Amino acid sequence: MNLSSLDMNTNINLSDFMTPRWALIVLGLVIGGGVGLYEMFVGHILATTQVVVWTTPLVTYFFLALASTGISLLLAYGLLAGNNTIIDRTRYLLVLDLALLIGGFTALATELGSIFNMIYIMLSPNPSSPIWWMGNFYTVKLVLVAIKLLRELLGIHGTVDRPLAWATLVVAAAAAMTIGAALGTAIGRPDYQGVFTSLLMLGVALASGPAWVVLLRRDAELASHINGITRQLAGLVALFLLLNLIYDVRATTEGLVGWVNPIMPLLFAATAIAGGMVPRAAAALTLVGSFWVLFSFVITGQLWVLGANTSFFGEVSSFSPNLAEAGTIVLGLSVAAALYNLGRMFLLEHGNASPTAAAAAT
Amino acid sequence: MGYGMVIDQQLCVGCSACTIACKAENNTPVGFNWCDKITSTQGTFPDVRYEYISTMCNHCENAPCVAACPTQAMHKDPDTGLTLHDPHKCIGCKACIINCPYGVIKYNWDTPHANWREGDRVAEGCFSPRELVEEVGGDGTPHSNPERDSTYPSMRARGTVEKCTFCDHRLAEGLEPACVEACPSGARQFGDIDDPDSEISKLLVKHGGRGLREELGTKPRVRYIRDYGPQRRT
Repeated sequence: MNLSSLDMNTNINLSDFMTPRWALIVLGLVIGGGVGLYEMFVGHILATTQVVVWTTPLVTYFFLALASTGISLLLAYGLLAGNNTIIDRTRYLLVLDLALLIGGFTALATELGSIFNMIYIMLSPNPSSPIWWMGNFYTVKLVLVAIKLLRELLGIHGTVDRPLAWATLVVAAAAAMTIGAALGTAIGRPDYQGVFTSLLMLGVALASGPAWVVLLRRDAELASHINGITRQLAGLVALFLLLNLIYDVRATTEGLVGWVNPIMPLLFAATAIAGGMVPRAAAALTLVGSFWVLFSFVITGQLWVLGANTSFFGEVSSFSPNLAEAGTIVLGLSVAAALYNLGRMFLLEHGNASPTAAAAAT
Repeated sequence: MGYGMVIDQQLCVGCSACTIACKAENNTPVGFNWCDKITSTQGTFPDVRYEYISTMCNHCENAPCVAACPTQAMHKDPDTGLTLHDPHKCIGCKACIINCPYGVIKYNWDTPHANWREGDRVAEGCFSPRELVEEVGGDGTPHSNPERDSTYPSMRARGTVEKCTFCDHRLAEGLEPACVEACPSGARQFGDIDDPDSEISKLLVKHGGRGLREELGTKPRVRYIRDYGPQRRT
């Protein structure tokens, strides 16, 4: 493959990076990267305990990976349904999809204790493990999106496009649902409620992915097109949350702490209603709500202390994230922002990019 | 064959000798134990009842930690039925901890026994922790048991989980787990729970037997018989 045949902007100078936006991204990378590297290689600074072991790094991964899933699903839908408004923005959506997913993987890396043992995911696979499936689905999704982007840059289009879109659709949906399964199959933890978790994760993916597009892109045609989808999906998540809230209120399950704050369904309902009037604000609220839902869900499921841990932690633990935990959010978002902006500069904002691709990505 | 343990709650005096013996045998770090306890106090003075339940990895037949581990680091040993952990395959994802309903798998957030690496002396003329380890020997700590190394690293790595192995290194030598040997009242019995003629199987036939959180279907191989507390005499 000849790299010179890639449709990309090669006329980028160092001065193009001397902007407030890039200064902010670099600051985020330095702070977040410092936290991540320290946690991985030096000492423990996250707010975790022997009871609450999955915290902000994993939540950040879920948040970004699910958003990436939502974009994959949106793009696959656009291609398979012949929706030209979406098809014309393929390159933009692929860039954003990749950026969010890699940002998520970076946040996840700070969570894993022995990242170099990851080779055993392939050498010693365990198909009964939802996490094994999750890792593989997201890796396959990454490869599929990368292939699609490469084909887009090389200008290759043809009969493979639809099978690729179908594959992405299936893998992305499965990936989101296996995130839910990783939590929903945990027995003995009442707040992780079975198959509901998979549906919730898919709902969050479908709501948050398009919300990123509405928030980041000044593109009236696409925004108005996606905004309807975003609002409906926010409404769906609101319904999910409301059902769960009712279940929590009515439940007599021993050990149920209850993770749905009554404001959560109201927030998503508000974005569904207000999305038509203030789409970007509603999209931002959807993203805040998605992160809140994921954070509350993942943490609350661990607060009921099990077995001998009650000696030190009591019956129910508490958890407050510290600055290092916030640093892992900064890391994930900064990596995603860096890749997204690199994609904009090199792949979108030049004359050869598809007519709509260059439009107004902010 | 499948190893199992029966704990006779009537004989248990709650002395924690099992916990101490395990800590010494397996070199567990400060802050957590492989062999631990659940305690509860019920009632209102003067009608108060106290219960002590010694607990450790239950080596479940349907081990949820094994099902959840993406790399088979947590696995069942086909010969002994033990639930074991291979630290070399462990990626530190903590799925086993989330999935274990008994709270007996622990994670090394920091390097175990890191305090023994400190070079500062408390007073002039004393050993620093590091100097003491160098003087006495030992893997990371002067208290480490070199025999532990034969089946599982006595110094576990940062970023991996660890849990009870039923002292598999001792079983390989024909010995019982350290907690069983240390129990002063003989409350802990160990053997082949799949063999109907073993002593623990006979105890289970005689007294029944129950496991922790059996409703989850994990089929724990640590079984409890009789009740903790004074025996009622009629």
